[in-house]
Order: sequence, then C-alpha cells, then structure tokens
Amino acid sequence: MTLKRNNPPPIFGVDGVEYIEPIRFTLKNGVELFTMQSGDQEVVKIDFSFKAGSWYAQSRLDSIMAALMLQEGTKTLKASEIANTFDFYGAQFSSSSSYDYNYITLLSLKKYLHHLLPLVSEIIRDSSFPEEEFEIVRQKRKQRAIVDSGRVGLIAQKSFLRNLFGEGHPYAPVASPAFFDTILLRDVKLHYDNFYRSDNMTITASGFIDTEVIQLITENFSSSWGNSDTAERGNNHRLPIADKMVFIEKEGANQNAVAIGKLFPTQNHPDFPGIKLLCTILGGYFGSRLMSNIREDKGYTYSIQASPISFLHHGVFLIFAEVKTDKTEATVKEIFLEMEKLNSELITEKELIPIQNYLLGRILEDFDGPFARAQTFSSLREVNMDFEYYNRLIDAIKTTTPQEIRELSQKYLAPETMSTIIAGIR
Amino acid sequence: MIQFEKTILANGLRVIVHTDRSTPFVAVNVCYNVGAKHEDSSRTGFAHLFEHLTFGGSKHVPDFDTPIQNVGGTNNAFTTNDITNYYITVPANNIETALWLESDRMVGPKFTKKGLEIQRKVVIEEFRQRNLNKPYGDTWHLLRDLSYKVHPYRWPTIGLTPEHIEQATLEEVKDFFFHHYAPNNAILVITGNIAPDHAFRLAEKWFSDIPEREIKNLQIFPEPVQTEGRELTVHRDVPIDTFYVAWHMSSRLDEDFYAADLLSDILSGGNSSRVEERLVKGQKLFAEADVFLSGENDPGLFIATGKLNEGVDFESGRQALIEEVLKTAEAQVTPHELEKVKNKVEAEQVFNEIGYLEKAMQLASYEILGDAGQINQQADHYRNVTADNILKVASGILCSDNCNLLNYLSLKK
Repeated sequence: MTLKRNNPPPIFGVDGVEYIEPIRFTLKNGVELFTMQSGDQEVVKIDFSFKAGSWYAQSRLDSIMAALMLQEGTKTLKASEIANTFDFYGAQFSSSSSYDYNYITLLSLKKYLHHLLPLVSEIIRDSSFPEEEFEIVRQKRKQRAIVDSGRVGLIAQKSFLRNLFGEGHPYAPVASPAFFDTILLRDVKLHYDNFYRSDNMTITASGFIDTEVIQLITENFSSSWGNSDTAERGNNHRLPIADKMVFIEKEGANQNAVAIGKLFPTQNHPDFPGIKLLCTILGGYFGSRLMSNIREDKGYTYSIQASPISFLHHGVFLIFAEVKTDKTEATVKEIFLEMEKLNSELITEKELIPIQNYLLGRILEDFDGPFARAQTFSSLREVNMDFEYYNRLIDAIKTTTPQEIRELSQKYLAPETMSTIIAGIR
Repeated sequence: MIQFEKTILANGLRVIVHTDRSTPFVAVNVCYNVGAKHEDSSRTGFAHLFEHLTFGGSKHVPDFDTPIQNVGGTNNAFTTNDITNYYITVPANNIETALWLESDRMVGPKFTKKGLEIQRKVVIEEFRQRNLNKPYGDTWHLLRDLSYKVHPYRWPTIGLTPEHIEQATLEEVKDFFFHHYAPNNAILVITGNIAPDHAFRLAEKWFSDIPEREIKNLQIFPEPVQTEGRELTVHRDVPIDTFYVAWHMSSRLDEDFYAADLLSDILSGGNSSRVEERLVKGQKLFAEADVFLSGENDPGLFIATGKLNEGVDFESGRQALIEEVLKTAEAQVTPHELEKVKNKVEAEQVFNEIGYLEKAMQLASYEILGDAGQINQQADHYRNVTADNILKVASGILCSDNCNLLNYLSLKK
C-alpha cells in the first residue's frame, strides 16, 4: 500500500479533561494544605504562597526585597549556612514576589525533605534581615535594573503599565533604578512581619506525596506565628486617564518596541473565557492574525503577541512586539487594522476550528501531571476561583459563535480605547 | 533510569521509543545531525535560517501550523552549533498527524522565493532583537571569534553577520536540504503515552519510503592547541563593565568533561559556591558572576564572567575572579564540596526525568553523540569523579597560553 501523503490522518478531538481535585488538609493552625499526588519519581514540590505581593507593599519594592532577603539569614543561621544546606541536598529553593502574592518554592528529592523542611520553616518564621546582606541584595537588583533600563522591550512594557495605573500604583513598575536607593530595611522587615504569617499562608504540595511527606509538612508548619491584626488592603487607588500615545526615546535602538492595550476585565468576569478565545485569534498562538500578517507575511518582527493578563484587582490587555525601526508606524497601523477587522468581519469556520482545538489542547496541558495540576489549581485559587472556570472556558471555546466573537471584539477591542507606547528611535 | 527501545529502518533512520503512561500526550522529536558547525564560513546562520524555512510548508502539507492546532498540539524547533531539533507534542491519539508532518518535512520542504524572502527578514529581525538591540547581545560573537580560529564554533547559530542571511539564494537552500536532511542523518524519538511496538509500526509507515540520501559534510577541522593567550577589548553602549575569560576544554564525550562540569559547579553553582560566597558576598566585587561550560559536543569552552559592582576597579575585580578559578588548579577541592555538587547533579537528573518532551530531547542528544543509552550512564560518570581528577583537569585547562580574555567596557567611562 502506498502512502497517500496528500491525505492527512484522521483527527481525534480533545475530549474529557480529567480535573483531579487536590486533597485538602487543614493544619492545626488553620493553614490549608493541598496535595496533588502522582508520578513515580521521588520528587516533591512544595509551594508556599502569601498574600504579600506588591499590592500590599507600603513602598513598591518592599515586597520583592522581602522575598529576596528571606534566605539571607535567620535568628540561628547565617546566609552561607542556609545556602550550603540547600545546595548540599541538591534542592532548588526560590523566594519570589509578584503583583498580588509572594511565593516560596522548594523542589527536592523526597529523601532529603526531613533535612530541608525545618530550614524552610525557620526561614519563613525567623528571618533576621541582616543589614550587610540587605546592601548586597539591593546592589545586585539595582545593577540588574540598570541593565534592563537599556532594553526597549522592558522600557515599553513598564511604561505601558505605568500609563494605565499611574505612577505609584502597586501594579505600576518603578520608573528608575535609583528607586532602589530609597528602600529602607526597616520597611522591608515590616513587610515580612506583616505578611509572612501563618494565617496568611497556603501550602500546595505536588509530586510524590505519601503519608510521610504529609507528616513532615504537618510537623513543621502546624504552629501559629506572626501578628494577625494586619488589615486587608482595600482597592482605593484611583486610576488616571491613560495617555493614548507615549513615545520614549532610546538612542541607538536597533529595533523599536511597541506596546498597545488597555485595562481589561479580570479572570472572574463572565466574559473572560470568550475574551481569551478572542485574544487567541488576534495574537495568542503561532498562526494568529498578528503573527501571520506582521511576521509571516511582512517580516517586520520576530514575534508579536496579544494577551489578556489578569491580576487579582485589575486586568490588562497587551499587544507587544519588537519591530524593525522603519516599520514601526506600519506595524501600528496593521495592528489597528486587525482589530478593526475583528470588529467588522465574521471569523470563518475554517479559521475558528483549529483555534478551538489548539486551545483545548492547552487545557489538557494545564492538567498534565501533578506539577501542572497543582499550578493550575493554585493560580485559580489565588483569584478566588476553582476548576469550574475550565467548564466555562471549554464551553466558551466550543460554543462561542462568530457573531458573538465579533460582539466581544466590538465591546473590548475598540481601537479608540487603546493606548500605544513606543520605545526606541523616531 | 529511562527505559527505551531502539530500531533502525532500512533507510538508516534511527527510531527510539520511551513509554510514559503518566501523560495523555506524546512527543515526536526529530533531531538532524546538522548545526551551525556544518556551515560554510561564508554562509553562516544557514542551519538556523533553514529551520525557519521548513515551517513554511512541505511537499504535501501546505502549512504546518494549522494541522497541529487542529489536533490540539504544539510544535517548535531549535538550532544549536551541533544539531537542528524539531518537536511536536499532541494528545496521544493524534500521533499520526505529528508523524505525517515530520515525515513530510523530511521528504522535502516547499521552497518558494516568497517564503525565503520573508524568513530572511524574520531571521534578521531575530538577529537584531537578540544580538544587536540588547545590551551585551554581541558577546558570543566576540567571544567565539576570539577563542576559535579554525573550528566552526567560531560563529554562533544566528550567523556571523546579517549579510550572510540576506545573501542566501534558493539554490543554496535546496542544496543544503539534500545534503543534510535525510533519514540516514536523523533520529526520530517518540516518547509519552504510547507502546513501543505501536510507535515502531507507525514510524515504519510514515518514514520508511523516504530514500536514503548522500550526506555531504564539509570537513570540520579541529581547533589547534592554543599556544598564546589572547585579549580583546571593546567599548559598547552598556551600563556596566563586564569581561569573559574562556579556556579551551575537552569534548562532551571525554571523561574529563564530567570533572570540568563539577568544577564549574564548585566555583559557581548555587549560593554556597566559592565565587558566590567569596567574591559576590564576601568581597562584594560583583553583582553577578558565573563560571560555566559552553557545553557543546566538540571540544568547548570553560568560561568565567562577572558584572562588576559600581565603584569596583575593573582590573582588580577581573583579577580576583581569575585567581579564584586558578586556585582550583593548585589545590584539591574539599570532600564536602565534591559531595555537594555530586548530590546536586544527581537531583537535577531526577528532576529532568519528569517531562516526556525533555526526555525525548535528551535521548536524541545522546544518540547524536553515539548512544542514547548514555542517558543512563551519566550518573555513574559523575559519581566516579575524584578530587584528584578535578585537580588534573583544572591544571590542564587553566593555563595562560590557553586563555581568551574579552573585556567588554561601558562607553560612558
């Protein structure tokens, strides 16, 4: 039998995503522990999350500096002793900060957990914030910020957020590396004291989870610590009227960075699943309209994307690309033409069906293996949602009609509502 | 331990299958034994440009992306100095779509003038984005050119200059394909939720009718032993002074590789490493510093680099890092240090055995080196390294005659 290469093999649809819910435990101190067991490699990943992101910071860099200082010393251990223990057992420890949450993650072979969890516990409760280490971390981050300030892509993305939220808003990145000089150790320590408390923490453990692992977590994290009288921060920031056009000069740029977008609904909004589909059509996958037009047809850029980004309190829509400098204007024009096309024309079945299948495949990936499932679960839980969101998303992907897609586009992608940021040369 | 089965088709295609029932997906990974080192020095960047071109469709497939999206999959590729690697992931029941596409890519791409024209532009924008428009983006161009005089590791995969890409003709592109893309110059790895015999049957079905081709590789001359230290100083519009020190070292398969790898970890792998503890935190000379291997298949480079803190004198900062590295050529590392980095490597290997796609890529890269089974030997190679091995390797590599020094200074000073 000769192979008929012109005939594609049959296509099997993605059906039945298995939502395996985590097992939930409540520790004696009220901390919730979620576990996702699976896999035969004896590897465990434990995530600790705290409502302690930049949203909660008195001064904007306090939250990130607090996260970075955690492994720099405790009441009984020096930074070098902490580093040596994690390294010796081949564990990966990270402490990071985001817009709404701060995180601690430990990735370790199961057999070393009993050496490592007491250390993680001490770091979370009894960090000492030594002055000398603080200056090293400050200098390190400042240097990095100075290097980043030479990159048009980051310049454009940061000023995009500042334009939408206003200088000083907790979601707006700081404007200058010099801001690092203004951070005070006592504010950073205060941020830690206020937010790294047991009643502000959630634990998610995934991978090779057995009773022994659960026992170890329980032993090390069941007592209470921290003062629990810190008030929740309400959303009383007033947002500015964003400029429609911002240009930031960067002498000698070889490419210009273009960021176009606006404030957008958050993930819990009923329209969000449809918006996700809409943004995918425009710029959410390799064959998207923006990629097809601006990269594959015109060759103005290496890559262009459109995405809805959801924080806890606000969402944003962002189209981003780094483009040939003399094609900046042409690129901006094409981006707006693509939005107008979505607002006026109906998408064909031929274009829509592969996008539906592509998105269903990505959903399957969100549940592929214990680490992915735990990540999916946690990111929903952080915005007060659960796996039910995926039912709505799958429904939106499968049933949103071309008419409804056009209506969503008219509602959310009106060109006159967008702000355009360009960083580079004129 | 990664279990796998291997067979070779009549046309020379090597097929490797690893079953992993923990995922609903399969990965189809095709690795071609062609990378930037196989390029003509007047046509650099070609392997990578070619990788871009093959996504424009093939003989029987008008476009690659729609069929993959249609089955809920993803695809991508990368080119290194040694290889070109394509991969597709799909829900397991759609594996035939992935095999249909990858086999047709091997049958032959659709060569069109317009396709070439566009991808030339895209790659030049990639060149600008990564290498020209980014602070320190030309580091690898400079460092490779300084360190290699003969071996084609002299240029990075993106190519020596955008002009080489601009000048590529359709004829050259076709020529490149038939000399390098062939079943007898490739490895197909299938991993994920599929039984080996089923995978082998499907591999046979889709790939066995592709004819063996004559592979024409330019001869790759080894880099002659360096006999004199080299130094290059450049001034660029960057905010902070930095430098790179590169010493020639062994190839990937040499037993010395493992000692060199552990040595780089002792020097700068993790917050408790020597460089981090002594120079970043102790003397506060650097905001960041790193010692690492270039990690290629042919003899590569052992590299030390650092970004100096504000106010630190360039010469003395650089000297301090070099001296810290050189100490390892004089005295053995401690048993504690050695055990620590061995534990780290052991853990990393287990972490890497989790993803089905990562496993596919690793199996392919060891098979390119000669034997996929090497994937299960690595732990032993590392475990067997002694402090004496490390001392010997360090004193062999870290000589001033074997040293290449790149000073990358800020214009503002």
